[in-house]
Amino acid sequence: MAEPSSSAAGWRSQSAWAGVAVSGHLGADGGAGVTVCCLRDVGMATLIAPKRREAALIAAVEARYGMRLPEDPRTVENGGVRAVWAGPDQWLLVTADVSGVETLREVIADLGAVSDQTGSRAVLRVSGRAIRAALAKGCMIDLHDGSFPVGAAALSSIAHIGVHLWRLADGPDGAVFEIAAPRSIAGSFWSWFAASAAEFGCAVVVES
Amino acid sequence: MRIDCPHCGSRDVQEFIYLRDAGPRRPDGMAATLAEMHVYLHERDNPAGRHRELWYHGSGCRAWLVVTRDTRTHAVFAVEALPASVESAST
Ligand SMILES: [Zn+2]
Repeated sequence: MAEPSSSAAGWRSQSAWAGVAVSGHLGADGGAGVTVCCLRDVGMATLIAPKRREAALIAAVEARYGMRLPEDPRTVENGGVRAVWAGPDQWLLVTADVSGVETLREVIADLGAVSDQTGSRAVLRVSGRAIRAALAKGCMIDLHDGSFPVGAAALSSIAHIGVHLWRLADGPDGAVFEIAAPRSIAGSFWSWFAASAAEFGCAVVVES
Repeated sequence: MRIDCPHCGSRDVQEFIYLRDAGPRRPDGMAATLAEMHVYLHERDNPAGRHRELWYHGSGCRAWLVVTRDTRTHAVFAVEALPASVESAST
C-alpha cells in the first residue's frame, strides 16, 4: 500500500488489529482447530443504487469488472474485486487496497453512491475443522453447506456486534469465511472470537 | 419468535426493531388539526390477535418490513417488503 499522504506529519496507518490480536497460538495445545488471519489494508466501499435505477448501476459494474452485482445475499469476485450483497440495492465492494476504491468511484460516477469505507471495518478470515463450532457460540446463522454454501453472504450480529460475513471458496481445511466488524469495536469482537476459538486451539496470523 | 425477512431469510427477532401499527399514515403536520394529530398519535387499536406491523431489520439488511403477526401467540402469518413509495411516506 502507498504511504499515506499525511506521513510527512508523522502519521502512519496501522492494522485494525494492531494492539488487539497477536500472531501465534491461542488456547488449547496441539493442532489448531481454528485458523484466523487478521487482514489489513483492505480497500472497501459501499455502493448504493438509487431507487428504481439499479439496472444501470449493475450494467456499469458488469461492463467494468466482469461480474454481476448479486441481488440476493451472495458474494461474487472477479479480478481481485469482490462484491458482497449488503441489503436491497446495496453492496460492499472489497478490493486489495484503497486504490481500487478510486477506480470504483470513476466507474460509478453518477450511477450510484460510493462511500469509501477503507479503514472503517476490521476483517478476519477464518477457517479450520472446528470453525463452525467456534462461530456457533455467537453467530445466529446456520453456516453449514445446506444453508450457507460457498458464495453466501449475510448481515447479522455476533455478540451484539453488527457484522457482515461471507463464505469464500473452500481451502485445505474446508470452509473459509470472512467477517467484517466495525473497526472501533474490533477489540470487543476479538475478545469474543478468541474466547470462542480457544478450546479448539487457534492459529493466529496478524498481517503486518 | 423468528421473522422470515424477504431479503435475508429467517432470523431471530433480536435482529429486528418494532416500530408500530402498519396502518395509520402520519397527517401533514402543518395542515392537520390538533384533533387529527391526537388521533394519529394516541388512538391506536391494540388487538388481541392478528396485527399488521412495521418492523425494521436493523441488524440485517436495514429494510422496513410489514409483519402480520398474532399478538397472543407470536405466530407470524406474512412478512412483506415495504414498497418504496410507502417507505418514504411513513418513516
Ligand atoms: Zn433483512
